[in-house]
Amino acid sequence: MSVFVSLLAGILLASAHAVAVLYAPDDALIGAVQKIVYIHIPCSWWSLFSFFLVCACSIGWLITKRKQWDILAAAAAEIGLLFNTGSLLTGMLWGRYSWGVWWTWDPRLTTALVLWFLYAGYLLFRQTDISDSRRANLSAVLGILFCLDVPLVFFSARIWRSIHPAVFAAEQGGMEPEMLHTVIICLCASGLYWAVLLFGRYRFAVLKDRVNRLEQLACEEESDND
Amino acid sequence: MIRAALSVAGKDFRLIFMRSTGFAQAFLFGLLLVFVLSLSRDPGAQFEAQNAAAIFWLISLFCQTVCCGMLFAVEEQNHAGRGLLLTSVPVQSLWLGKMIAGFCFLLGIQLAIVPALVIFLNMQTGPLWGVAVVETLLCDLGLALCGSLLGALSQGHGSKDMLFSAVLFPFMLPILLAGIRAVACGFGQIDFDTQWLGLTFAFDAVFAAAGLILFPFVFSGE
Repeated sequence: MSVFVSLLAGILLASAHAVAVLYAPDDALIGAVQKIVYIHIPCSWWSLFSFFLVCACSIGWLITKRKQWDILAAAAAEIGLLFNTGSLLTGMLWGRYSWGVWWTWDPRLTTALVLWFLYAGYLLFRQTDISDSRRANLSAVLGILFCLDVPLVFFSARIWRSIHPAVFAAEQGGMEPEMLHTVIICLCASGLYWAVLLFGRYRFAVLKDRVNRLEQLACEEESDND
Repeated sequence: MIRAALSVAGKDFRLIFMRSTGFAQAFLFGLLLVFVLSLSRDPGAQFEAQNAAAIFWLISLFCQTVCCGMLFAVEEQNHAGRGLLLTSVPVQSLWLGKMIAGFCFLLGIQLAIVPALVIFLNMQTGPLWGVAVVETLLCDLGLALCGSLLGALSQGHGSKDMLFSAVLFPFMLPILLAGIRAVACGFGQIDFDTQWLGLTFAFDAVFAAAGLILFPFVFSGE
């Protein structure tokens, strides 16, 4: 089942990018380079969703103390960081061709980079040498705090002047309908791919946890026999 | 709860100011940074208020890192944290007490650093200095609220310094941006958007509530 879904996700993602190349028109100003947006937007959205999932799972852990929530939070943070890295890299490529620089301290870029730092710190924290339950508790608190920080970072970015283009603007700017359709297709395909990666990572972590516990039991039995 | 928090704050305040050199270290670091920066400009050239404000908040953040480390190290060194947990006061009063101590420490450093900015970087107060002071106090409150929570979180393991710096600096971005705008406005070189006041107030309210709810999970004596 999981192999089938993984294959489906891969095929859908490839098809979505074929649509981006063949169906979506080139941008009038920067040409084919604009098609970076079909990777950039899904990466940004799914990374953001991952970070909200980290928060939801963190709340789940603090309330229920079920290990699965903690493992899912860690998996979501890893996948979120991966997608966030993709978003930053494609954003830089876009910026190089669109604005003439690899990086500019545009607030939305800054927000994405802040998220990258926060969740890199979160994953580093999960490697610290403390007891499992304390690590899970503290990671959950961090996950919730970071999620609360995201809207504030975003609003601080809005108050600061932005040069980032409006993608889904209601009144001005925005995209041509063909471009918008392609973005939605890419978002859906990337969503399935994201889910496959997330649950793959989750299953791996659950199995690793089980192996660790079995090893611990084996060690205890061995020491009892001695 | 408030009385217990004030007792904790008073205890920490006495320990930091009477027995440790933390305040002096932080102040000297700030002074040195301002002094070195003043050397970097050409003779007679005016230093931009926004750069001076950025330095001011960098020093503030560094001091907050030092202060929060000290505040929780006091309990960590002799396991006094468990003793505090065994008392009948709500655990949140510890967080509130640490926050009050951190806020006073930070304010003390800032009051000491502002004259250095005026003298070495030739900054002058503008007409909106009152708004800048209010905004700075709100930003300090936000720093102290989050600092006491994250300070407790980073205790008890080897990588606490790395974690605290890596997490606190990007986490505080909204406060830092607001604070830089406010101080630059206080020095009279830019206008101040009142939306920053709202944002900082929201930041303080959100993390005050989060601290009250989450601190018991962080400071559990485990």
